Amino acid sequence: MNALPWDDEYEYEDGDDGADSMVRPYTITRGRTAPERDDLTLITLLTSVPDPVDAYGAPVRPARLQPEHRMIIDRCRTPAAVAEVAADLDLPVTVTKILLGDLVAQGLLKARAPISVARAAGGADRGLLAAVREGLRRL
Amino acid sequence: MTNTPAAAAAVKILIAGGFGVGKTTLVGSVSEVAPLRTEEYLTTASVGVDDLSGVDQKTTTTVALDFGRITVSPELVVYLFGTPGQERFWFMWNDLVNGALGGVVIADTRRLESSFASIDFFESRGIPFVVAINCFHGVNTRSDAEIRAALDLDPHVPMLVGDVRERSFGRDALLALVDHLMAMPVG
Repeated sequence: MNALPWDDEYEYEDGDDGADSMVRPYTITRGRTAPERDDLTLITLLTSVPDPVDAYGAPVRPARLQPEHRMIIDRCRTPAAVAEVAADLDLPVTVTKILLGDLVAQGLLKARAPISVARAAGGADRGLLAAVREGLRRL
Repeated sequence: MTNTPAAAAAVKILIAGGFGVGKTTLVGSVSEVAPLRTEEYLTTASVGVDDLSGVDQKTTTTVALDFGRITVSPELVVYLFGTPGQERFWFMWNDLVNGALGGVVIADTRRLESSFASIDFFESRGIPFVVAINCFHGVNTRSDAEIRAALDLDPHVPMLVGDVRERSFGRDALLALVDHLMAMPVG
């Protein structure tokens, strides 16, 4: 079992890190400490679904959304990476992933996996590298 | 699902090096937004030297990182992650290191040893990288060959010397990484 912020073993890297938040992070997640989905990475891009509908075409009525959930939906009207959402909400990445997972599960958010650059699969695609190179040259 | 606009996809590049070597400065010099900061809880199994019980203990630590972004095209975003200064933590942060296109290791000529661990890490994980030597105030009293020898760099690893506060240096370091990746044999 992981140490929680209120456990004695819990320690911050810096003395004051996290001390400025009045809400214990895992309160926001209703006590959940690990994301249910493991496919969200730091650079998974998330986009809010404009008019979410369920499998039968009926509009989705979001259940049990917290203020943080609503902030995420607002933030992701333009695509944002998990790391960006976490930074904007000032929440740890793990906590952010739990909240994002709730919204993906309800069909309110779409997740786009990062481009695979695994060396085992041949490494990054040449076209991708050329596109990155072109973008960097404009800096 | 068909009416959803084509979403962009992302890749990431790690900016590593010892504490205070200029990682966030480099990220900020090339990022289109001021560097953002996020943090993660890492659970680390630690065997304390004064632990007589012999039982591994788990410790949770908060690790912070700064990052920036470069929108290459409407379909492609490059994220730059400045790794946390304490290597022993980010080395275990799988989500941070997995799937990276490559890395830029920044080293400071006045204390090259602070970047040894980052170089070792990329080498051991097979993550391609380039080395950017940061000379604050343009002062560099060592030759490139001396620096390469001190860092024990493989001859094929590109190395640049410059000032991380200059956008052009950050850009050139990233371009050197992409060229390095393109020069690698496919497969």
